[in-house]
Amino acid sequence: MNIVEIKDLCKIYPAFRLKNVSFPLEEGKITGFIGRNGAGKTTTIKSMLNLIHTDGGEITYFGIPLKGHEKEIKQRIGYSTGTVSWYPRKTIREIIAVTKTFYPSWDEEACKKYMTLFKLEDGKKPIELSEGMKVKFNLMLALSHRAEVLILDEPTSGLDPFSRDELLDVFLTLKEHGVTILFSTHITSDLEKCADNIVYISGGEIRASSPKDAFMRDFGKPDETLEEVFLRLEKEARV
Amino acid sequence: MNAMLKKEIRLSSLLLTYLFIGFGAMTLVPGYPILCGTFFITLGIFQSFQSAREANDLVYSALLPVAKRDVVKGKFQFAMLIELLSIALMLLCTLLRMTVLKDAVPYTQNALMNANPFYLACALLIFGLFNAIFVGGYFKTGYKLGKPFVIHCVVTFVVIGAAEALHHFPGLGALNAFGFEHIGLQLALFACGVLLYAALTFVSYKKACADFEKIDL
Repeated sequence: MNIVEIKDLCKIYPAFRLKNVSFPLEEGKITGFIGRNGAGKTTTIKSMLNLIHTDGGEITYFGIPLKGHEKEIKQRIGYSTGTVSWYPRKTIREIIAVTKTFYPSWDEEACKKYMTLFKLEDGKKPIELSEGMKVKFNLMLALSHRAEVLILDEPTSGLDPFSRDELLDVFLTLKEHGVTILFSTHITSDLEKCADNIVYISGGEIRASSPKDAFMRDFGKPDETLEEVFLRLEKEARV
Repeated sequence: MNAMLKKEIRLSSLLLTYLFIGFGAMTLVPGYPILCGTFFITLGIFQSFQSAREANDLVYSALLPVAKRDVVKGKFQFAMLIELLSIALMLLCTLLRMTVLKDAVPYTQNALMNANPFYLACALLIFGLFNAIFVGGYFKTGYKLGKPFVIHCVVTFVVIGAAEALHHFPGLGALNAFGFEHIGLQLALFACGVLLYAALTFVSYKKACADFEKIDL
């Protein structure tokens, strides 16, 4: 069952266009969203969060259109981006205290669990965190309100290999609990480990949206890794 | 108090903004264009907006489970909170000047504007214009603060100049009433100030909601 549907999403910038982007997110599955820098991953994700004004298309979550139902949908989804620093001079404790007032479903136990797992100290301020720790802090906020859908924009960027591996295990555990994850990245080895489906975007257009096995069968050559397929497709597209 | 206003107070605002409410006490300064206090109060609000912008406050707020118009509402509510607390302080000081201090020589021999209900009406007009020009102007882009603030500065000092000059024109002396003189006229002018403040704030809030819906964060 598709829990999120993106249909014919268009966004026109002076130097870039998102062209009729369509793909679904399957319930309880991890979808890897791949594409090189500037391909349209972040624009698509921002559209999915109503952070940008689109020029066409429709986005539905749980069968409900995002337009007009933003508030109820955002209660049920979580978002995390790489290294953006929210309120750099406020303590993590203060940011959590305010954030949780917006979520009736806030899970104090989960919050404590991820604070411990990510080794975050609530007396610290985002400005005092390394880039990798900022990613973890953003993820902790997204994971602490029982989100049914997680939208993660390059969540592993800036993380050391051990932390990345730890995080991928967290995603797999969440998946077992029925959480749907969209995970944009250009580190394709992360997707080898945990993605069920692949959405591949290039030049503002979706080139493929399919289960990982089908993607490898349709686009890959024998013995190629996902990264090698991705690199070859990008090179072919440039020619 | 709603969650968005609490977020404004706890995460987005600066202590300086609250301290600048104290400029409302400039109402008691003799021989000084007392309406200038309102400018400093708006400068305090500007500082909080600037600090919040650097903290990615708008994107953080827009990601919370609220409609985009609630983000706008939070900013307007915060500005109004500071303005109305300032007006309360200015009202207190004005009442002091209208009663126990009404015969104090520094105030009676004052070529500049008196503290009376007309003065409070002008303060409300300046706050209403600040909400329309600066707060509303900010939501046209979600990041440009300088231009709307400069326009606000120019407009504010024109209003202050006009308010200071008006009572010197023939027939307009009642605007500068002492104590409870011309109290009917004074209260009517105050009511006009309240209405203008409410109308300017409401119209700019509606427009800001529409503008914020269109911009890309």
